[in-house]
Amino acid sequence: MAIPGSAEKAGLEPAPPSRRRWPLGLVLACAVVLLVVAAGAAAPWLTANSPLDQDLLAINQGPSADFPLGTDHLGRDVFARLLYGARSTLEISVAGTAIAFAIGAGLGLLALAFGRWPAAFLFALIDLVRALPGTLLALLLIVGLGSGPGPLILALGISFAPLVAYVTRATYLREAARDYVQAAASFSGGRLHILRRHILPNIAGALVTQAAIVLPRCIVTESVLSFLGVGSSPDEPTWGRMIADSSRFVERAPHAILVPLVALVLLTLSLSVIGNHLRRHLDPVRGETRAPAGDDEAEAATQPPLATAMRVSA
Amino acid sequence: MTRILAILASLLRGLLQAAFIVMLTFFLCRVMPGDVVDVLGLEGGLSAEQQAEMRHSLGLDQPLPLQLVNWVGHALAGDFGRSIRFDRPVGEMLGTALPVTAKLAALSFCFGVALALLLAVAATARPSRWLDAAIDVVNTWSIAVPTFCAGVAAILVFSIWLGWLPVIGGLLVPVLVIGLDNAGQIVKSLREELREAVMLPHVRTARAKGLSPWRIAFAHVLPAAMPVVLALSGLVLGGLVAGSLTMEVLFGLPGLGSLTLNAIHGRDYPIILAAVTLIALALVAINTVVDMLHRLIDPRLS
Amino acid sequence: MRPILDIADLGIAIAGRRVVRDLSFSIAPGETMALIGESGSGKSMTAAAIMGLLPPGARIAERSRLRFDGLPLRPEDDAAMRPLRGRAMSMVFQDPMSCLNPFMTVAGQIDEALQRLGTGNRAFSSEVDTGSREENPSKQRDGEFSRFGETRKYSSGQRRARILELLALVELPDPAAIARRYPHELSGGQQQRVMLAMALAAEPRLLIADEPTSALDATVQAEILRLLKNLQRRLGNALLFITHDLAAAAELAHRIVVMQAGRAVEYGPAAIVLADPREDYTRKLVSTRRMLAAPPQTPPVARASEPVLRIEELVHDYPARRILGRPFRSLHGVSLAIAPGETLGIVGESGSGKSTLARLAIGLARPGGGEITLFGTSIARMARLDRALRRRCQIIFQNPYGALNPRLSVEAAMREPLELLGLSNRDDRRRIEAALVDVGLGGDHLARYPHQLSGGQRQRVCIARALLSEPELLICDEIVSALDATVQMQVIAMLKALQAKRGFAMMFVGHDIEIVRWVSDRIAVMHRGRIVEQGPATAIVTAPQDPYTQTLMAAMPGSIGSATAAGRGEWRTPFKEHVG
Repeated sequence: MAIPGSAEKAGLEPAPPSRRRWPLGLVLACAVVLLVVAAGAAAPWLTANSPLDQDLLAINQGPSADFPLGTDHLGRDVFARLLYGARSTLEISVAGTAIAFAIGAGLGLLALAFGRWPAAFLFALIDLVRALPGTLLALLLIVGLGSGPGPLILALGISFAPLVAYVTRATYLREAARDYVQAAASFSGGRLHILRRHILPNIAGALVTQAAIVLPRCIVTESVLSFLGVGSSPDEPTWGRMIADSSRFVERAPHAILVPLVALVLLTLSLSVIGNHLRRHLDPVRGETRAPAGDDEAEAATQPPLATAMRVSA
Repeated sequence: MTRILAILASLLRGLLQAAFIVMLTFFLCRVMPGDVVDVLGLEGGLSAEQQAEMRHSLGLDQPLPLQLVNWVGHALAGDFGRSIRFDRPVGEMLGTALPVTAKLAALSFCFGVALALLLAVAATARPSRWLDAAIDVVNTWSIAVPTFCAGVAAILVFSIWLGWLPVIGGLLVPVLVIGLDNAGQIVKSLREELREAVMLPHVRTARAKGLSPWRIAFAHVLPAAMPVVLALSGLVLGGLVAGSLTMEVLFGLPGLGSLTLNAIHGRDYPIILAAVTLIALALVAINTVVDMLHRLIDPRLS
Repeated sequence: MRPILDIADLGIAIAGRRVVRDLSFSIAPGETMALIGESGSGKSMTAAAIMGLLPPGARIAERSRLRFDGLPLRPEDDAAMRPLRGRAMSMVFQDPMSCLNPFMTVAGQIDEALQRLGTGNRAFSSEVDTGSREENPSKQRDGEFSRFGETRKYSSGQRRARILELLALVELPDPAAIARRYPHELSGGQQQRVMLAMALAAEPRLLIADEPTSALDATVQAEILRLLKNLQRRLGNALLFITHDLAAAAELAHRIVVMQAGRAVEYGPAAIVLADPREDYTRKLVSTRRMLAAPPQTPPVARASEPVLRIEELVHDYPARRILGRPFRSLHGVSLAIAPGETLGIVGESGSGKSTLARLAIGLARPGGGEITLFGTSIARMARLDRALRRRCQIIFQNPYGALNPRLSVEAAMREPLELLGLSNRDDRRRIEAALVDVGLGGDHLARYPHQLSGGQRQRVCIARALLSEPELLICDEIVSALDATVQMQVIAMLKALQAKRGFAMMFVGHDIEIVRWVSDRIAVMHRGRIVEQGPATAIVTAPQDPYTQTLMAAMPGSIGSATAAGRGEWRTPFKEHVG
């Protein structure tokens, strides 16, 4: 996707040192995300304890050999819940983000590509929903759709879809106004050809960046919903649910709340760091303002005005 | 003339939005599995006949559109019905809850916007690495730390570890938490916008006139960034609603958020409906005002 | 007489790249100096440095010395420069629309400049006391420029009167009405006059005009240049005039500096330099200019056969921006025809509807009424043109930065029309290479991406791409207006040679009458959505009939290097020249 060997080849700038170094923050962020993914995937092999088994004789205990991170108010193993929680947290938020993009970007792009009216209708509908903040909309949707992971994912997806749709529309319209889109139309390129060949590659960066912004916000919203008692179900606890469950026992078992809290913040933090880097490197606006200088002058200095013309007619 | 039309259009859009939200809420409340009679039935052991009778007396056996029309008719007359669980007028319950939420939201809003403006304008007027780092921290904080986590952490640190119990009693901690969250939502975009506004040709003209930096900042840079500031208010409102909900629950404040949430758990739909309608109307009203302000500030739009 | 501005060894670097090197020149009081160069020559950076308005990241070389009226300038010290700006020196910029604050009325913006004259008691005084300063250099640093310290505080009533006086000075009709307006309610020419009024508020000793006319329409350009000249005669300020336009420089300047790639390549009195340039680069600029002034004589085309394009009574509306708004009619019944092999030039100012016409002509937009016949087929009601028609007509756009997808290599971009138009076969690559060679590029450009090409090279790629399908009609929509003059000339000369070889017809849309005349056999003049005059190129230029065409032709720059400094007998070189 990246444009290879940009400036050096054109001889516009002195060649920079060969290898680009990754900033430390980005490396750490990627490491945290990979660790969480690995923890979620390998949860059954990393702990023998179940995240749901209650041991009412060992409630609110600190870390021990049996329970590496202690137990919560129902005597459940915090470590096991942390590992399994990583899995469900990621599953729910990734699925929610995917639905937000399927609706916002997928439907939005199709509507935009197929003319004025479909797009006008879709965005009028989104405009009506927009007045409700995402959290409230998700809350209401869960009220209507019922509880459980399915409705939760759907509610998260729908509540973030307007945001994605607006970003999609803005970037789409910016690209659609470009002359190269007009040029493709003048070569009798159809709507889908233009969408696939010219618009998608140029807005992909913006969409990927947007996904990296929506994902942590999905995690946060899910945790808020869990805290309000309408989020993930008790038998598939997310980190948000763990924090919510333990929040009333913060005095007796601070570790039970601090562990998922720190994990959640570390994950969202890492994702947003990655999102910021993506934005910086995939920003489609970046390249075009940097008009190359020098080539015309070099060309001009060596050729009299009619040289090329003569070469053509010869 | 065109200005009046534009204002009317934004009012109309606001009304449509509000109507749509009321309808959406109404139908979501009705399709939710298990209505209030089921809940009360389970709790109080009502027989099937009693349940049917209760549904009839509450009008729940009528077709949905008719119920909606009835409700809207009563609501327009100021009657939001009675709470099913508490058997009190909904209007009265909203009346006691509203001031709590309004105070919390207004204070958080002021604190958040003031903090964001202060940081962004200071970083524009006197660029420094420290200010930019502070902006990054506040921004990342609001993205990564859900308000209720911050609230829990505040309880843990201040109330339990440090033992400053009085801190928890008042609005101080919720306002700080929500305000910080709000500031973080907007401060980064504000900073970027101001940074770009400083590069605008008409700001260069102002510098070429030899105006003082403060005059340039307030008369030339800030107006250019104003549309974005206003557009960001949507984010602030979203943050305010989510923040108030969680903070009221966490700190046991008897506001709209707690009321709504309790109603949702108890399927007390007259309260859900009225509370969501109230919140939606407030948001739509604020959005419409913001839209009009935008038109007033920019002479090109009128 | 001491120079008002004296620059020695000016060097500016942005992010380590040196954009101005070892530039030296000086300007005498009341003199007009033109800084001439194409884009990237560093001329605007020089102006910004003098005003202390360099963009962040720009550095001035250590050994650079700038003196304003004998006193050293420190462009990097904003606080030190502020008292000078808008008082002793002021500046007007290129694009007046974006350079005026859209949120303030005209009166408010000029008032700001006037208010400042009162505060701090530092209004400019023309009386200069030089003796004491040289005796006491330490005191001089403290009270630098304090000699612009005469008190001239305006009351609000006086300011009001002064605003009207300034607006009248820049020859704006009805100053009171203009003063109340916002910038977006003014035309481009009026906006630039307001900028000038603002810059002249303190009667500065040095006015810097950075391409003050390049964003304006041709007829307005001429008016603004004349105004600058008149004002200077009345107010006696020195003028640093920055331009890429040799004709404008010849019109205005006593002396010129020609810049290329950050260096001054030639320096001297305008008349002498332009009549007899010594350096290669200047010579090329001048010869480009002269070529443009003397278009090639083309034999008249035999117009026997069916026209390739016939447009009759074409009407086009832009839909209303909002509900209840009125649609904007961009074309009011336009009729024209283009014969095979012929070039029809369409000339008009911005907003005249000429680009809309170009897009309608090959079915990229749909007309509201009228008839378009392309190669004998009526296309006005067609939703899409079929491939056979598309192959026969092609369009090239204005902005070479936007016409190529940044993510496709030159080869991929050029393959696209072949594939879409069903012309693809096994020797695609060879054909693409041959097409690139035709436009003066080569096979080594195939793998490049648009951002690795210069503007001129990109436009050449676009031309090569459009010619791949061997079209019989080529529509050129302002294709050279984003390019530098010398590159413009190369591109249109090349296009003309290609046309002679291949025989396609052209519709050449442009705003620069000289370029359009150079390319075209016939010219149609557009004004506000109508063709006001149409005929053979020479006739339109030499004997225009329509009043609008007449003003357009009158605004056309004259020849340079012959009689430029006539009537400036009073002028002589007053001090030694820095450039050796």
